[in-house]
Amino acid sequence: MKTRTGPFTALIGGLTAIFLLLPLLAVIPVSFTPKRYLSLPRGEWSTRHYEALISKPEWAESIFLSLKVGLLAASLSTLLALAFALGLWMMRPRGGSLLAGVALLPMVAPPVVSALTLYYFLRQATEWNSLVIYDGWVGVAVAHTVMVVPYAVVVIMVALSQVDRKIDLAARSMGATVWTRITQVILPNIRFGVASGFLLSFILSWDEIGVTLFITSVRAITLPRRMWMGLRDNIDPSVAAISVLLIALVTFVILGRVVWQMTRRA
Amino acid sequence: MSRTLLIAPLLLFLGVTYLVPLAGVLLQSVTVPEPGLQNYQEVLGDPLVWSVIWRTLRICLFVTVLATVLAYPLTMLWVRGRRPVQIVVELCIMIPFWLSVLSRTFGWLSMLSNRGLLNTWLKDLGIIDMSLTMVRNDFGVIVGMVHFLIPFAVFPLASAMRNMDERVLMAARGIGASRFRVFWQIFVPMTWGGIMGAALLVFVFSIGFYVVPTLLGGGRSVMIAELIYLRIFQIPDWGIAAALSALIMVAVGGFLVTIIRRTGVGSQ
Amino acid sequence: MNGHFQKDQALLLAEKFKSGRINRRSFVQGLGMLAGASALGLNAATAKADTKEMIYVNWGGDAIDAMAEAFGDSFTEETGITILYDGSGPTEGAIKAQAEGGSPTWDLVDCDPFSGQALGRQGLMEPIDWSIVDEGKLREGFKWEYAASSYFYSYVIAYDKTVYDTPPTSMADFFDTEKFPGKRSMYKWGVGMWEAALLADGVAPEDLYPLDMERAHAKIAAFKDNVGAFWGGGAESQSLLLNGDVSMALIWSTRAMLLDKDTDGDIAMTWAEGIIAPGSNGVIKNNPGGAEAAMQYIASTQDPEKQVVLFEMLGNGPANPAADALIPDEEKFYNPVDPENYAQQIPLDMDWYEENYGAALDEYLGIISS
Repeated sequence: MKTRTGPFTALIGGLTAIFLLLPLLAVIPVSFTPKRYLSLPRGEWSTRHYEALISKPEWAESIFLSLKVGLLAASLSTLLALAFALGLWMMRPRGGSLLAGVALLPMVAPPVVSALTLYYFLRQATEWNSLVIYDGWVGVAVAHTVMVVPYAVVVIMVALSQVDRKIDLAARSMGATVWTRITQVILPNIRFGVASGFLLSFILSWDEIGVTLFITSVRAITLPRRMWMGLRDNIDPSVAAISVLLIALVTFVILGRVVWQMTRRA
Repeated sequence: MSRTLLIAPLLLFLGVTYLVPLAGVLLQSVTVPEPGLQNYQEVLGDPLVWSVIWRTLRICLFVTVLATVLAYPLTMLWVRGRRPVQIVVELCIMIPFWLSVLSRTFGWLSMLSNRGLLNTWLKDLGIIDMSLTMVRNDFGVIVGMVHFLIPFAVFPLASAMRNMDERVLMAARGIGASRFRVFWQIFVPMTWGGIMGAALLVFVFSIGFYVVPTLLGGGRSVMIAELIYLRIFQIPDWGIAAALSALIMVAVGGFLVTIIRRTGVGSQ
Repeated sequence: MNGHFQKDQALLLAEKFKSGRINRRSFVQGLGMLAGASALGLNAATAKADTKEMIYVNWGGDAIDAMAEAFGDSFTEETGITILYDGSGPTEGAIKAQAEGGSPTWDLVDCDPFSGQALGRQGLMEPIDWSIVDEGKLREGFKWEYAASSYFYSYVIAYDKTVYDTPPTSMADFFDTEKFPGKRSMYKWGVGMWEAALLADGVAPEDLYPLDMERAHAKIAAFKDNVGAFWGGGAESQSLLLNGDVSMALIWSTRAMLLDKDTDGDIAMTWAEGIIAPGSNGVIKNNPGGAEAAMQYIASTQDPEKQVVLFEMLGNGPANPAADALIPDEEKFYNPVDPENYAQQIPLDMDWYEENYGAALDEYLGIISS
């Protein structure tokens, strides 16, 4: 039994929710424009930009590539961030906040500087190995990991700050190993934080463009990179069509989960 | 031992991929075009830099407060609302994530521009007779940024609210505290870590914004990220760009460490 | 992968043909090129080990497909070297980052001549080899040590014909909001805008350079409240006029042409006092594909027929004067370098930009953003 939210919360929260959906009112119609540039259709609606998505296999290739990159980057960054945050929280090393500051550096640096930095790293790495390379998908995933890991660190640290230290102390005094304390005591309490960290990392990687534009050329074309190819030139309404498809997919997944939970419970 | 095993991987990873090459980039602030601090002198003496820094700070602080405040009740609905409300709110939070920044800014342009949907509706309803200028100025930039950032503020807040001890609230209600008092004196303080985490995330994120201010600001709202972009790519002067970046990083980084230390996000 | 690409190219061609964006001749010609390329593609699998490729970096969008169609495909057919088009934008800084380590991954760039020159002097670009690239196929005055002009575009006045009864005929008209009321749009990165302001202020075209920055900026500062937005990219400039946010703008002639065609003339353009500038091809120092092959590519793009294909797809004026005559009469109006149009415009002085662009842009941004 939870205390319910009040009417004021519901009002502000509800308005904010509507605000979040406002651009959809424009984006959905735009995806049906008969013109070849981003515009609201006037009278005539067309599915040509959806057809273009199907007829151009590059879009599917880019979606697949972005998925791969996003999943790898999110997994790496969640693991690294989780270990790091646990270390800080459990061991409380001296200079902990300074160490946290170092981990958050990629978030603090202006994105263009990070782009240049990661470009230099990948160019160097290309000479060392053949996996983590410039214009290769693993290289992009590693670069994305650098960019998103601070966000995972923050979210997981916030989750940890809500955990009651006493339960960990209790486990420790009963002689539990570090591994047991983490898996049996702490992790169950920050499940949601870890999941949020993963999701946030994935989404940030999925949408990353500033760095990607600079560390890819003609092979590792992620979805945003494909959308942005025309940065100074033409913006293809296929961009809107892709967004609408993704939104439909997300809505489907969320609603599907709800239905699944309901049928399981019944 | 286990301390090193937990903390070291991330630091090692960042060291190789990021910190060393970054040092190389930033070092140029004291070596290009010749050794010395003249780049810093030039940056600090440049009125354009200062006006851009002030604009960036003003907009980012405003956006941070607005996004965090709006995200808070939204997160409450998501975490604590009735089941149908939760589902609807979850959709509202997740959907914007999948709109590319391009589609979003275009969406806002179509909503807010002079012949946009919003102006048309307001005129049809007879609320205004002249079009309001809502975009290609700071207002448009703020709307676009807040919209982008609210979902990011939701995550740390939700993290904090989910782990909250429900019994405290029940107890407070039980001894007859009003809803208002429970909220301000118990609920909010208990989620303080989440609020600071959210604000921090949003603020730092907003400093690096480039696309939204460029497109929604009508070319006038030059912010710091764009200025650095200019100095690196458009008219390269890497010494100056590095000096500017180093200053920003010191300022924002110092701010972050102070906040982490003061509020104890993570270390409690 | 290769088959996909060609199939897609064919689809794209068909689509463009259907929508009337390219005429029948280039459609058939394009199909022919594709057929040739795929015949070559059959052998590609066996010859993969020594398949050579080069990366050409341009500004993205339609230019990727257009350049592949106009130049890349036939070059591959002739030499067996595949040209891959990367649309990430070869800004001066991006080229610098590529070239500085001494082992770039890019070969050729579509750069501003003044960027090419500045980088070349730092030892980051290959000098153009005039024994391979034919200077006789360039317009007089549009070649540099490190850059060969590849196409022309112009900063011109585009205006909403539904708003104005009489068309603007000079930069003075653009800056005159009494005679031509309504919001304006100008280029955010300054190029061409200083010239426009000075012309409007009464400076004679032949006295423009060196630009009197104080005077130009005073004019712009006094005018900036009439500017609804400063555009930073081609697509943005188009949408400003299309959405009615502004009624007159200084934009690229290539964009003005598209607007004119897309709106059936509701948004028109004039060449009067346009500021014309070339794009150029440059080769990065120590490019992976080798300087000679890169020069051969540049030389192959000098073919007038190919330049006409690029013009028809993008509106870029051909660098080779021999191409002007090949453009069909009804399209001649859109060619920035057509003798009739060229006479009305003023060429951008690349030497001035190489020397002064950085400082000028700084001051300009300070003015428009305050």
